[in-house]
Amino acid sequence: MGFMMTLSTILATLASPIAALAQSEPVHAAQQEAGHAAAKMEAIAAPGVGPLWLLLIPVLPLVGFVLSALCAAFKVKSKLPAWLTVLCLGASFAVTLAMYLQISSGQIANPSVATGFEWIRVSWGLGDAHSIVANFGLYIDSLTCLWMLFVTGLATLIGLYASEYMAGDVGAGYCRFFAAFNLFVFSMSCLVMGDNLLLLYLGWEGVGLCSYLLIGYFYKKPSAVEAGKKAFIVNRIGDLGLALGLMLTAVHFGSIEYSVIFAKAQPYLTALSEGRLGDIPAVVQLIPVLLMIGAFGKSAQLPLYVWLPDAMEGPTPVSALIHAATMVTAGVYLIARTYPLFLLSETALPIVAWTGALTALLAATIGMAQFDIKRIMAYSTVSQLGYMFAGLGVLTSGGAAFHVFTHAFFKAMLFLSCGAVMHGFAGQLDLRKLSGVGSMPGWRVVGIAMLVGCLNLAGFPVITSGYWSKDMILGEAFANPHMVAIGWILLLTAGLTAYYTFRVYFRVFVGPKYFEPGDEVHGHGGGDHGSHGADAHGADAHGHKAHDEHGHEGHGHDAHAHFHPHAPGWAINTVLAILAIAAFAVIGLRFVGGHEGWVSGLIEHSSANYAGHAMYAAAASHAGAGGDEHAHATFFGYDAHTAMMYVSGVVGFIGIAVAFVLHFVGRTTAAKSRADALLPLVGPLAKWAQGKWYVDELYNAIIRVPLLVLAHLFHLIDKAIVDGIVDLFGWVPKFTGSSLRPSQSGVLHGYALSMAGGLAVLVLIVVMVMK
Amino acid sequence: MNMLASIPGAMDAVISGTTLAQASAPAPMAASQLAHYLFVSAALFAIGLIGFLTRRNLIIMFLCTELMFQAAGVALIAFSRFHLNMTGQTFVIFILTVAAAEAAMALALVVLLFRRRESLNAEEFSEMKG
Amino acid sequence: MGCRVSVHGVSGFLLFLSPAGLMGIDAFINPYLFYGAVVLGGLGICMALPRGGKTAQIVGAVVAALAGALVMLGLGVKSVASLPNIYFYIFSAIGLGAAVRVISHPRPVYAALYFILTVLSSAGLFLLLSAEFMAMALIIVYAGAILITYLFVIMLATQAPTEDRPEELAEYDTVAREPVAATTAGFVLLAVLTTLAFNGTSTLNPPPPGTPDSVLVQIPRKVERVLRGYQLIQKDEKVEGFDRVSGDGVAAIESVVIKNAEGKTREIAKEAWPEELRVRNVEQLGLNLLQDHPGSIEIAGVILLMAMLGAVVLSRRQVQIDEDAKRRQSQTLAQTIAEPAGRGGSSGGAA
Repeated sequence: MGFMMTLSTILATLASPIAALAQSEPVHAAQQEAGHAAAKMEAIAAPGVGPLWLLLIPVLPLVGFVLSALCAAFKVKSKLPAWLTVLCLGASFAVTLAMYLQISSGQIANPSVATGFEWIRVSWGLGDAHSIVANFGLYIDSLTCLWMLFVTGLATLIGLYASEYMAGDVGAGYCRFFAAFNLFVFSMSCLVMGDNLLLLYLGWEGVGLCSYLLIGYFYKKPSAVEAGKKAFIVNRIGDLGLALGLMLTAVHFGSIEYSVIFAKAQPYLTALSEGRLGDIPAVVQLIPVLLMIGAFGKSAQLPLYVWLPDAMEGPTPVSALIHAATMVTAGVYLIARTYPLFLLSETALPIVAWTGALTALLAATIGMAQFDIKRIMAYSTVSQLGYMFAGLGVLTSGGAAFHVFTHAFFKAMLFLSCGAVMHGFAGQLDLRKLSGVGSMPGWRVVGIAMLVGCLNLAGFPVITSGYWSKDMILGEAFANPHMVAIGWILLLTAGLTAYYTFRVYFRVFVGPKYFEPGDEVHGHGGGDHGSHGADAHGADAHGHKAHDEHGHEGHGHDAHAHFHPHAPGWAINTVLAILAIAAFAVIGLRFVGGHEGWVSGLIEHSSANYAGHAMYAAAASHAGAGGDEHAHATFFGYDAHTAMMYVSGVVGFIGIAVAFVLHFVGRTTAAKSRADALLPLVGPLAKWAQGKWYVDELYNAIIRVPLLVLAHLFHLIDKAIVDGIVDLFGWVPKFTGSSLRPSQSGVLHGYALSMAGGLAVLVLIVVMVMK
Repeated sequence: MNMLASIPGAMDAVISGTTLAQASAPAPMAASQLAHYLFVSAALFAIGLIGFLTRRNLIIMFLCTELMFQAAGVALIAFSRFHLNMTGQTFVIFILTVAAAEAAMALALVVLLFRRRESLNAEEFSEMKG
Repeated sequence: MGCRVSVHGVSGFLLFLSPAGLMGIDAFINPYLFYGAVVLGGLGICMALPRGGKTAQIVGAVVAALAGALVMLGLGVKSVASLPNIYFYIFSAIGLGAAVRVISHPRPVYAALYFILTVLSSAGLFLLLSAEFMAMALIIVYAGAILITYLFVIMLATQAPTEDRPEELAEYDTVAREPVAATTAGFVLLAVLTTLAFNGTSTLNPPPPGTPDSVLVQIPRKVERVLRGYQLIQKDEKVEGFDRVSGDGVAAIESVVIKNAEGKTREIAKEAWPEELRVRNVEQLGLNLLQDHPGSIEIAGVILLMAMLGAVVLSRRQVQIDEDAKRRQSQTLAQTIAEPAGRGGSSGGAA
């Protein structure tokens, strides 16, 4: 409830009036033209000096990390680390909120830099021209605020959720979990708030490390360890791009601080706005492409998305926070942060757009055919991240950021709901083995939260925030004459998303009550019923009805005969409730703080601002053969933005309807649905989609197997040649020794013989050589 | 012919001016005769050496060293005769001395070793200890 | 060009390796014959060595003897003008044959006896070389003393056969150790040593005769005694000195100068000397030994003494007596000594 209060506070502080639901076209165009005109003059402002208390935002999670680590060191066997975590993260969120309020009220300049201390200085001569400096400093602007608000806010909520979810591990990995959790938030705040690319890189690697640690949290489970490794390795590929981009930035701009980079990029932006594309050197155009590779790795985009579905091996709070809401949006953040650089490249943003769109479609098709609900959510995350990238690519960084924001809430909620199910049903995630969960006693909150989340993800018209954020991206895609194809792909994806989302909902949360518990019956099934009964409201029923039906259906699961699903406790329910309300509440942000919503308003005053878009668009039209008549495309003659409000809503609705017909109407058992009847129609496509289009196998075949062969080859070379040479050095004296050893037998004759033979040879030499 | 003729008159036989047990002022000896003696000496030495190397009985090994002493003695005496110089014979006296000393010491050691191992096999004594 | 050079180089190398390249040996024996015989002898000796069980020892001995005969033949062919005495061949054959038997006979006693034969034949060779004293000394010292010691030790160090255990040869006596390698080493050494010796010998020239007579100068007493014994000088006459003729660098004695009491001198020419007035081998040896090598004699004496002491110390049987036994023994000894001493002491005191 406290969270709701803070949200309303945010809304109250925003003085902007609520805009009209449908903006008329000429006004829109006129405003954009105005922005365009202003952009030519306006540069990204030089940063002001930020107050040092802002450093509390990253430092508080670090404190939480140290405290949790101390708990681990002292083998604390209580929920202490969880409460410490919630406390630290909540405090961090409070500071973030204060930061936002001060920025929006102008008390802190936007942007501004708060420098903590000099972190790294590399000098190769006198003066600033011969050194690269990386301070531990924070770059504060509205983009930072936006990201930090949902990072710290969601981290606090999910920390609270995890305090209950991870209760089974109290005394074992509990402290470790929360230590890594805190470290993640610290790394994420370094990533988002750092005033230079190196600090971002530190955070980037830090979140990668925490992701690895938390995916592999159940380190005794081979699949979890494998998934952790996979995530780490795939991310390394992207990180290589990021590192190269960072170095190239340092080489070309002579600095890695955002303020300096933006200042030095200003002449190029001016050149861009004047259509002099030839004045932008190729190196500058290469930098965003390299950075983009890093973003693709971290945000699970097309070539490198394979790690994210596997990352679901981690505990669900981790999946919700790291692999749905925050870390995976780091790529979006990176592009948004360095948007001026991306604008300078002719190719970078189209690549981003196409990659995003194709990822969205591919992940959606895979998600349609999966049975593991958490995995479906993972693919939907990949898909939605694709939306965000497409949004960035089609020049609506505001839409992308808004989608990041809304997605963070509803996807976290979806994951937490799935996690609650998994928690309650002993690790069961197969949608064929669960049914009617939402109507079981004690599961109402989960069911409602899941419904809200699904509606948002499906983009149910008007009443969901997901609809509005998705709509912004779709509208902008159709509005851009070069990106209409992407718009169509995204529209198709929207329909598929609605279908597979509600496929999960209809099969798991409504319908006949039925369940088969999973195999993780350890702490949940038997012994600690009492404790759960004590802290869980509604847990007393324990799904006896479901039990009866279970019996009726005649699946004699004797092994699980005494299994009682335990409904989520107060912490989980509270968090889900808050998130459900928040998911709706953020709709309001669409209509406050500027004509395109609060988020866009924030974005406009950051490095990812609209001024640059306009310049880019102008440059693109300069470069293109056409005049201005295609500058704003239409959707079958209608204004794209307006049309999309209807079309995307209808598409989402159709998807939901199809799911309803196939998976809800007339369904009697958990395992079967009408959709099965359709399987022959699509032929092997369903099987291929279920096999994730065999991308993993493809990677295995084209990367892993050749590498393995090469590695074995090098191993052989190493064994035979390198080791051979080394061994030779050992072997020569050894062989000499072993061949000479018999001569040192201690037997008199041997010595006498060698003496006589030596004498003979000696005299022979005297005779033959010396004559 | 000369050889055949000389067989009956054993001690007085004279072949090419060489007398057995010359009373005084022996005649010069041809280098080819010296070569004969040197070959015999070398062969004796080689046989002794081979015996020393192949036989494993400590006593026979020492006998073989005595054989080699003999060879040296023959060579020395032959040179002494060739050069009409007594030093060669004097050296043979010293060889005898050394041989006698060696025999005394060596045989004492052999007795000692035999007491220890009840064997005269030289290969038994291949360790520094014991 | 290069080919020619290389051919030249190869032929030069072959020349270098070929026995013909070894100058000197050719003066005494055909090198091919010699080296062939050496190889043959090596084979023979190798075969003659005991290997345990039935082996072709006799064949080997025959082959070795054949090789020796070949060498002798080769040597003889080259020096027909000055062949050695027939006894040389006899003694050599006996000596070398006995030596082969020494190293090939499995029984140590027989080996020692064959060694005596070798010693005797080398004594014969010594006689042929006008070293009568050394021949006799060799027989006495070697065959008489050293070999007897050997025989004693052999008997001492061999387990006597008993009723149930017939005498059997020890394995180490019947099987030679590494015969091939040893024979190779030995015969390579024989070949190269002989080559070396022949190379050197071919450059030597024998000294002029008569030199041994100069020793007489050092023993005028003997000259006087011999002459007096033969009544060649009177009672009042004394040997004054020797008249020498220095011809071609070597001083040779021409006559003995004799001086009577009145101081008159006369000479007895070499031709008038009795047969006895010749320097004997043993005299020459004695003079050489004592005049030229007095220190060596001392050292030889010390060596012999040390060897004797060493032999005594080494072969003494060491009896292990513990401390208590020693104490008891010394106490008993002290008592037995103390009693008569005490009596003597008291009586002495009384006196």
